[in-house]
Amino acid sequence: MPGLRPSAGALFLLLLPIVHILLFLLAGLLVTTPVEAEDSTVPYLQQLIEQTRSARLADRREWHLLLHYRANLFGGYTSEQDDPGFFMAPNGKTDPQAELDATLTQFFSADLVGRSKQSAQCAFVARYAWLKEQLNFDPTKLTPIRCERFERWIEEFHARSVTLVFPAAFMNNPASMFGHTLLRIDQEGQTAQTRILAYTINYAADVPPEEGVAYPVRGIFGGYRGYFSTIPYYLKVQEYRDIENRDIWEYRLNFGQAQIRRLLMHSWELGNASFDYFFFKENCSYHLLSLLEYADPSLHLTDQFLFWTVPADTVRLLAAQPGLVSDIAFRPSRVTLIRRKREHLSEPELELVERVARDPSVGQSAEVRSLPLARQAFLLDVASDYVRYQGERDEAKAAVFRDRNRQILTARSLLRIPSEDLLVLPFAQQPELGHKTSRASLGGGWRNNDTFEEITMRAGYHDLLDPERGYTPGAQIELGSISLRHYNRADQSRIERVTLANVLSLSPMDSLFHAPSWKVNVGMQTITHGGCRLCSNWVFNGGIGVATETHLLRREVLFAFAEVEGNYSRAYEERHRVGGGASAGFYVDLAERWRLLATASYLRYALGDRSDDVRWSVGQRYTLAQNWALRVEYNHRDHDNDLLFTVQAFF
Amino acid sequence: MLRKLFVVLGAVMVASQAGLAMAANPDTGPGCGLGKLAWADFKNQKNIAPQVMMATTNGTFGSNTFGISSGTSGCTNDGQVWADQKTTMFALMNFENLTQEMAQGKGEHLASLASLMGIPDDRHAAFFALTQERYTALVQAGETSSVALVKALNDAVAKNPVLAQVVSR
Repeated sequence: MPGLRPSAGALFLLLLPIVHILLFLLAGLLVTTPVEAEDSTVPYLQQLIEQTRSARLADRREWHLLLHYRANLFGGYTSEQDDPGFFMAPNGKTDPQAELDATLTQFFSADLVGRSKQSAQCAFVARYAWLKEQLNFDPTKLTPIRCERFERWIEEFHARSVTLVFPAAFMNNPASMFGHTLLRIDQEGQTAQTRILAYTINYAADVPPEEGVAYPVRGIFGGYRGYFSTIPYYLKVQEYRDIENRDIWEYRLNFGQAQIRRLLMHSWELGNASFDYFFFKENCSYHLLSLLEYADPSLHLTDQFLFWTVPADTVRLLAAQPGLVSDIAFRPSRVTLIRRKREHLSEPELELVERVARDPSVGQSAEVRSLPLARQAFLLDVASDYVRYQGERDEAKAAVFRDRNRQILTARSLLRIPSEDLLVLPFAQQPELGHKTSRASLGGGWRNNDTFEEITMRAGYHDLLDPERGYTPGAQIELGSISLRHYNRADQSRIERVTLANVLSLSPMDSLFHAPSWKVNVGMQTITHGGCRLCSNWVFNGGIGVATETHLLRREVLFAFAEVEGNYSRAYEERHRVGGGASAGFYVDLAERWRLLATASYLRYALGDRSDDVRWSVGQRYTLAQNWALRVEYNHRDHDNDLLFTVQAFF
Repeated sequence: MLRKLFVVLGAVMVASQAGLAMAANPDTGPGCGLGKLAWADFKNQKNIAPQVMMATTNGTFGSNTFGISSGTSGCTNDGQVWADQKTTMFALMNFENLTQEMAQGKGEHLASLASLMGIPDDRHAAFFALTQERYTALVQAGETSSVALVKALNDAVAKNPVLAQVVSR
């Protein structure tokens, strides 16, 4: 039972207010007389508490970082920590001084506290170390307790440096949209080849298995508890690289030994803690930042995130701290690896790989054996990677693919040569080079016979025309966008567009990869329909399709979707219409900073207001800087033409 | 009343002794049940880690098994893998990556396994070549259980003239 304190401590806490009053009276009587040191512990405790008050330790940043206090809007503090066992005082969550007094009190006791069931000195090693440093504990009056569990634990890391690990987002799971961050505690004597043996420090929500539909809702509104854990890095690599197909970026942080020790000490304390997990703000990245802040209190990180903490933004923030990040390493996902290896294959070789993947006995055929040894090895390696990828995608046939892989690998082992090293470059550049998460746009243009000015705010994240650097190509996720327009001639100001969510995933298909592309859009647009000019029209649209890429100029992606759509507006008979249709389009990078996106669609609505809809649009973006872009967009609908120029800033 | 007090006192004594024993946390793994687990028991890679965790702990994967300062549970002690379980656990969890790298005669999982087995860096190449040579036998052992794989590897290393002398076993 966490949170149950031994009765002696509780009794003492009851006495504390009385002691305070007595002290106050005493202080009134003996203003300048120093408190005489006595042999019993009680006066020494009071002496320490007095010292904390005169030094105002409870107001110090370190104390607030240790207890995760945040200033309230209207004065006072509240800790973000939600496990009562983490606090030594009953009102510790909201009273930094009371918590400090109670912590000092508990240091004199060997009673086991917190979820980790240790004496307070050992359960809260970082608090103890900091207070000892501030107050110069007298070991004869406050006996230090040996913390064997902690010493063994911290030794086991063989810590030499700290690395921030960022698995990039991948499209097929919206929960990964924001990416994730964790810390890796690099070991003494570790090489690039043995990095996976290091422990990570990971903060994650404890989600019961088979949660399903409740997961996003509870995840967003703090329905889960988040805990800190030390999962070996090899398990994390497996999860992201092999199973979820996400590229991983690793950033070495320039922390010295003292800072690493502080980080680990506070991590140990957080074993007694749990936080309500809020997907958007108090998530993995947010709490890791608070750990880094305690390691180096001169870093101010968490207070930069007011409403949400996007892992990529935290990476950008850390990369922007002078001298904090040194080496950056890249770990390709299996798909990235296969696609890069394929660039080294000729057409006939690729065909051979596909045949081996379908029928492993081809791997030992004369056709393969006539090739040079190193070439044979390379083909079999790609085939093995590909079969593993298939096994992950198709769980029902996982055993079949595993057997095929075994046969391919048996043939591979008979070649008796090691595989050659291959430098695998990413398709998406480093996240810290990407634009920031939120976007503001200001612009104007023409619509039919009218002119307008427009301002748009978008909470997140990225659309197909935004500067692609640092983002996964072909992935669009827009959340929480609102556009206000003023039409000059009609002298009307209105909410022109609202986007709740607009997600689009383009996965170019080829002989190896057949994942479909898909899109979902929920929002409101302003339309002109029938007799209704400038009417709000709510849109629910979803589609599934195909994409392919070419390299005529730089890189072009062509796509086509079959889609269904429902509209709700007073412009329609019966106020709604439901139908379906198709759309097609492409984007092309005309230059490094210049992209053009064109789409056309035809939809026919059979339910509600029977009508059809032909739309096409052409948009262009020119990148000015990492967080600045220009756009011109033309949208055509029936008797409705809209031309818009904007300048956009990311923040 | 007095009897009640004695009972409470007794309970406190027992509790504090248990506390002492726990605080010491001797570094001896209670044998967390990895030895019984064979690779063939798993449908695919996705269920291996959670299943191992479920099999060896009473909680969900991750937060409990590797929970910081969470005490002893199954294969872990305060969230870190018991010293004598490290190699076996690594071999089990990474079996699919290890088979691929053994066949390819190199790789980070294989290098890490070699490190766990105490093979110095300058002998890794010899170890890789050995695993490639014994690929079929090693994979068969691994399909039985991770313990069998590690044992087969140790036996192969012991019989190898280049490697036997450097590995203190």
